[in-house]
Amino acid sequence: MSLIEGEEELIRNGVAEALLDHDRARESLIPLLLKVQGKLGYLPALAMELIAEALQIPAVDVYGLATFYNRFRLNPPGKHQIQVCMGTACYMVGGDIALDCFERRLEIGEDETTPDREFSLERVACVGCCTMAPVVVVDELVEGHVTPTRVDGILLSFGREIPKSAEKTEQEGENSP
Amino acid sequence: MTGGKSVQERYRRLKESALLREEDLYRRPVVRVGMATCGIAAGAAPVKEAFTRFIEEKGIDARVVEVGCMGHCYAEPLAIISKPGFPALCYGYLDEDLVERLVEDFLLNDDPCYEFALVALETNDVFPTFSDFPRGVHEQKIVLEHCGFIDPGDIDQYIATGGYGALAGALAGEPAAVLERVKESHLRGRGGAGFPAGLKWEAAVRAGGSEKYVICNADEGDPGAFMDRSILESCPHQVIEGMLLCAYAVGAAQGYLYIRAEYPLAVKRVQLALEQAREKGLLGTAILGTPFNCDLEIFMGSGAFVCGESSALVRSMEGLMGIPATRPPRLAESGFRGRPTVLNNVKTFAYIPPIINRGVDWFRSIGTAENPGTAVFSLVGKVSHTGLVEVPMGTTLRELIEDVGEGVPNDKAFKAAQIGGPSGGCLPEASLDIPIDFDSLQEAGAIMGSGGLVVLDEDDCMVAIARYFLEFTQQESCGKCTFCRLGTKHMLDILTAITEGRGEPEHLEILAQLAGDVKEGSLCNLGKTAPNPILTTLRYFREEYEAHIKEKRCPALMCKDLIVYYIEPSLCSKLCSVCVGSCPTEAIYTRTDGLKAIDQDKCTKCDNCLKTCPPDYNAVIKLSPPELLAEKEGKGS
Amino acid sequence: MSKKVTITIDGREIEAHEGEKVLWVALDNSIFIPNLCALKEKEHPSGSCRLCYVQVEGRPEPVTACTLAAKEGLSVQTRSPQVDRLVKSAFELLLSNHRLGCGRCPRRKSCALLKIARERGLKMRLSRLSALELDVEIDESPETFAFDRSRCLLCGRCVWICQEVARVGALGFTNRGITRRVGTFREVSLAQSPCTECGLCVEACPSGALYFKEKSDDK
Repeated sequence: MSLIEGEEELIRNGVAEALLDHDRARESLIPLLLKVQGKLGYLPALAMELIAEALQIPAVDVYGLATFYNRFRLNPPGKHQIQVCMGTACYMVGGDIALDCFERRLEIGEDETTPDREFSLERVACVGCCTMAPVVVVDELVEGHVTPTRVDGILLSFGREIPKSAEKTEQEGENSP
Repeated sequence: MTGGKSVQERYRRLKESALLREEDLYRRPVVRVGMATCGIAAGAAPVKEAFTRFIEEKGIDARVVEVGCMGHCYAEPLAIISKPGFPALCYGYLDEDLVERLVEDFLLNDDPCYEFALVALETNDVFPTFSDFPRGVHEQKIVLEHCGFIDPGDIDQYIATGGYGALAGALAGEPAAVLERVKESHLRGRGGAGFPAGLKWEAAVRAGGSEKYVICNADEGDPGAFMDRSILESCPHQVIEGMLLCAYAVGAAQGYLYIRAEYPLAVKRVQLALEQAREKGLLGTAILGTPFNCDLEIFMGSGAFVCGESSALVRSMEGLMGIPATRPPRLAESGFRGRPTVLNNVKTFAYIPPIINRGVDWFRSIGTAENPGTAVFSLVGKVSHTGLVEVPMGTTLRELIEDVGEGVPNDKAFKAAQIGGPSGGCLPEASLDIPIDFDSLQEAGAIMGSGGLVVLDEDDCMVAIARYFLEFTQQESCGKCTFCRLGTKHMLDILTAITEGRGEPEHLEILAQLAGDVKEGSLCNLGKTAPNPILTTLRYFREEYEAHIKEKRCPALMCKDLIVYYIEPSLCSKLCSVCVGSCPTEAIYTRTDGLKAIDQDKCTKCDNCLKTCPPDYNAVIKLSPPELLAEKEGKGS
Repeated sequence: MSKKVTITIDGREIEAHEGEKVLWVALDNSIFIPNLCALKEKEHPSGSCRLCYVQVEGRPEPVTACTLAAKEGLSVQTRSPQVDRLVKSAFELLLSNHRLGCGRCPRRKSCALLKIARERGLKMRLSRLSALELDVEIDESPETFAFDRSRCLLCGRCVWICQEVARVGALGFTNRGITRRVGTFREVSLAQSPCTECGLCVEACPSGALYFKEKSDDK
């Protein structure tokens, strides 16, 4: 993925800022990655390279860490993040059904983002709200007892049309070249 | 340590001012709203806002305070209302209307609306207290004692309960005295394996050297367990005090709380607690005026279940992949930065202040001889009263599920108790009378683990649950060692085949062999315990595996590939079409006779029609094996 | 120097340095114990391949020889029914994720898996497990050697050599669990990575994953 103008600047500043708060030591790697991702929403290649350079460690080690831990993402997330809890209590009462419904409605799989970058979908291990299972976290707001009907309700609340038939409605992109 | 008297004096002053503030607070009515993650998820924020708004509108002199989780998560949002002249009363299932009524009737006038109260917190002549309910008879709170009753964001409320008194007392004496007490208490670490905390600490003391570390493992990742999060959100100071006592005992000047980044509220509240402790001179340099220095910091874990394994956790703090290391050395000899390190679970640290305060005899009088103290469980799944519970070790599973949890709801039959998460096992009805303790559970094939207890009923398929846990451990395996990386993958593939109706008779033998080899051959405890869900379900529920393999039938009607949905014409009504509207894939149509039927090709088995079909009809049923459909359709229509 | 101790391996009394790992004591004395991930120069054993199990007298469960320290009087058997079962199981697990067809493998004369199979009488085929899907892309971008991931056993020897001995840092472990692999930054080809083609990783590889284009076993 190539960076658009201004993006490189943003990444460089983000990394430089994060580096101010931490020792340039290997131990700082995870806190640094968390901070940079907190700022940019994801870990661009350039950010990982800059961090590797600053800590004087191989870039592959930074990449290795970013691909090891669940929390790090290498691609920009959607505007709205939908996290379906797959803790035991949620799974037993249909967490996978909720995930299926989101996949079907958004036409993406887990860990993917819709082409318009509006929604990204992921499964998370227990969010600790087992008593309201099945649980979905939408932009940090916990939704309990999520049935297929509620899935449609959540998407509608973001203005997402629910196709009433199998035909897909084509929508024109708003920003024409 | 010198100046024992001045330590106690300093602490006495802290406590006095804390008590004064508390007394002043409770001079007027106080509303305590449960605002841990569970409460907020259930809608506590608008409830708190409503209390504040109505109190202001009516011009009442009352305070609204945020507290943590009381453990009664099933009834959230919850609030405790204390009004001078009345016992403190707890109300559940709150919404804006009820809040308005409570403010109007109770706070403004003097009607406590007993019809909405759940329980009174102190003994009185009018309303029952916790000890009047079966749950209260069994519950005994040490770790959760203050959770849900004090404001986690106000250190004075913890100090007013006697908090940091254990630390002050310890600092007035020698570090060895703390170690001695913890050893004598026979406290076993609550992280899962139950290793005696005192022995771990002693090893770190013996290891020598001037630089040592204390780490609190709050990387709770068991799906279905949330007590560590709840404790940190509800009473962070008790954990901090426990860590400081440990640091003093072993001679550490630095400690870390390793908290999952997925727990933002816990991180926030611990951060605030650390700042407040520092301000009060209870953390940092010259603690309570003594030469004892110790600072604590938060390290945020980035989501890898394997980091619950102590050597993996330490590696991740060092900026490496969280991959378990071979032993020796143990962490107590060479841990973080190669220095002696004591690593204990959140609950383990939370036990320390009460043990130091109330003494070894008191602690050992609770629970059993080999397993003193209490067990904390997050009780979830098919049980009426879900939540966080704390009972003495030795309580039976039956008491926990039937009395404390009030049994399985909706007249369903109990099937199994899943204890210990992905590393634990499923115990059947026949095992319900075993006492809860580290050793008995292990003998039965489960483990105490970090304390997740999921109740399963007749609708839950034991093969599917085993598959679910294997999928989890397989995804969370670090991938380092052969047995765990590849063994869990093969076991998962076999279980998937069985749940999808592709099971072969020889699969059970291969599964049992692989499970045994992975248990014995894996490098770390994640791998060694990963086969437990398979081993226990094979041991106690073998007939369910056989039904899937031989008859292609899922007895619990859960495995999607082995069931079909069917609308029973004799139960369906022409007058109702709820299911048609509820189907997300338009698989349900109206037949010429007005009854409804399912187009099997379009059906995704989402269960929505079954859920929405009105109870008057209950016309949607599941059939397994799917061949039964032909039989039904032959007879029906 | 640490003091000398006498240990017994398969009934043979052998002198060793105290604390030295039994795997190396055995191998140095021509007693074979299966192994893939062990590196003598590495201070802390990785313990990842789980092939070097031995039976220690007085201990019920087999122990990995790479982590077992020599001490006076230690008595070890390299074979026992339990050890054989674990080794056979680990070996088959590794095979299930390894591209077979040894005839076409550049390392067919020096492969560690073949050696283990010979020494322990194990078959180079799967008996109870199904073969897992393999990543078959071969990175042929370096001039002198190639990297065939479908034959990689994740022993980690190449990664350690690349990072700690060559100090290049082109190779590293990436991802987790079943997707764990030896990779480069953002999975670019080796030619696009900092690789200097020093060839040390190829020499360290026990299987046919990393091989010299010109010096393979059939040339």
